[in-house]
Amino acid sequence: MTFGKFLSDRLGRILLQLICFAAAALFLASSGTQTGIIAILFLVLLPVFLTVHITDYLRLRSRMTELENILENLDKKYLFAECVPAADRLYERCLFDLMRRAGRAMIGAVSDAEAAQREYREYVESWVHEIKAPLTAARLICRQLDDSSRRKLDFELAQIEAHIERALFYARAESPERDCVIRQTGLSEIVSQAVENHRSLLIQSGIRIETRELDRQVFTDKKWAVFILGQLLQNSARYRSGDPVITIAAESYGKQIRLTVRDNGIGIPAHELPRVFDRGFTGTNGRTRGGATGMGLYLCKRLSTFLDLDISLTSQEGEGTCVTLLFPVRENLTKT
Amino acid sequence: MQKIMIIEDDPAVRSELTLLLDNEGYRPLPATDFDTITEQAAKERPDLILLDIGLPGRDGFMLCAALRKTVPAPIIFITSRDSGSDEVRALSLGGDDYITKPYSVPVLLARIKSVLRRSGGASEPADALDAAGLHLSLTKGTLTAQGQTVELTRNEIQILACLMEHAGQIVSRADLIDALWDNQIYIDDNTLSVNMTRLRGKLTGLGLPDLIKTRRGMGYQL
Repeated sequence: MTFGKFLSDRLGRILLQLICFAAAALFLASSGTQTGIIAILFLVLLPVFLTVHITDYLRLRSRMTELENILENLDKKYLFAECVPAADRLYERCLFDLMRRAGRAMIGAVSDAEAAQREYREYVESWVHEIKAPLTAARLICRQLDDSSRRKLDFELAQIEAHIERALFYARAESPERDCVIRQTGLSEIVSQAVENHRSLLIQSGIRIETRELDRQVFTDKKWAVFILGQLLQNSARYRSGDPVITIAAESYGKQIRLTVRDNGIGIPAHELPRVFDRGFTGTNGRTRGGATGMGLYLCKRLSTFLDLDISLTSQEGEGTCVTLLFPVRENLTKT
Repeated sequence: MQKIMIIEDDPAVRSELTLLLDNEGYRPLPATDFDTITEQAAKERPDLILLDIGLPGRDGFMLCAALRKTVPAPIIFITSRDSGSDEVRALSLGGDDYITKPYSVPVLLARIKSVLRRSGGASEPADALDAAGLHLSLTKGTLTAQGQTVELTRNEIQILACLMEHAGQIVSRADLIDALWDNQIYIDDNTLSVNMTRLRGKLTGLGLPDLIKTRRGMGYQL
């Protein structure tokens, strides 16, 4: 709040005071009071009025600063009206009373929505666990089929599992602290687990995987890292071109470890690159080939932030795509 | 024959698992009465227990602790819950391994095998293979035949080992690729052809040109 704004707000009252004084002066002059006396009266009254306005301004300003500080330091800003110290002005008291009533209605709505979301998440999680029993049975039954049907069915089952996994991690990303455990993990373990999870897709796609220098330790949540890597492998398999190769390599980058997943697939058009991590973005490749959900990379990005993992993607259309994961060093990890 | 106790509440999974383990040469003991698990285990003395954590009306973790007290058999947890904290809890309660559903069959069998081996039930894997007049040393990476020895690359060893383990049978290209992927050699069809050619070249050098036969449309045979 600036002084200018305060003045313009008070302009009406100041004008009224001036008019009153002018009317009084006119009355006094017409009733025979000397001009000098009227001038003295004006000089006495002027500082009184000014002081009133200036103290008002100062009080209002300090109150506003106080309120702004409170709002600034609040974690949940919508609880503001509940947290302000009692006002001594009637108008302000009434105003805060109204705000509190409005606020309570909103807090109720917010907590209802949060509860509904939590319930939904819990349902998704339990559903995911339920569906795994019949899937496991299907996998076991599958084994008795002849070779080619078995491989085809295995492939389809793996696709179902990949979709389910995405749903599970989408639900988990809502409250990561419940599930995310950061521990020292071998990078090669993460890679071989991710490859194993998508084995039937990768083999059916005729992909060759080359690994380089994965014999390193990183600090991360193994399941989440495996999921992220799995999404990248699925993308590379889906958007492959002739003679597909995926190279998974690690290198030191200062104190950090950098993992790159590079493929020689069809690549992504340059103008679509800034949006690849957006939710639901499928791009030209996804639309023409079908089956894209626009969720894989979005989830990778979301989960990465919880793991303090820096994920970036470069691509050249027709040449391939390279995703880089930068694992954090231990000292920088805030959550354990 | 090694006895494996199956504690699993889903009837379809239980019966398929029983069938699978039976085919693999184990003696499966499926449990259907979950209230007397510990008594059954004490009576049957299994060599390994597959335990589903999510049993109806019974906490798998508590059950594991109870089983630990009564039987010496190693326990593999099978669960559809795959949160990290569950895994830690399972292993700290004395579980020997932890597998999440839906598991792939080869992974399950490999875990069973390795847990049994650790508990001393089964023999160590051979470090050398003998078949069709060949002697393959897996630790040294050498192949000996007709008094001569050649060195093989990692890929060639795995291909040959897979063929020698199934000597006389036809091994399909898909099975060979599968076997290589099991050993973290992630190759494609073309690379398999290249490696196969090289392997045959080395066998020819040993004076065994047509040892690996190609069965058109079916695979390879030693």
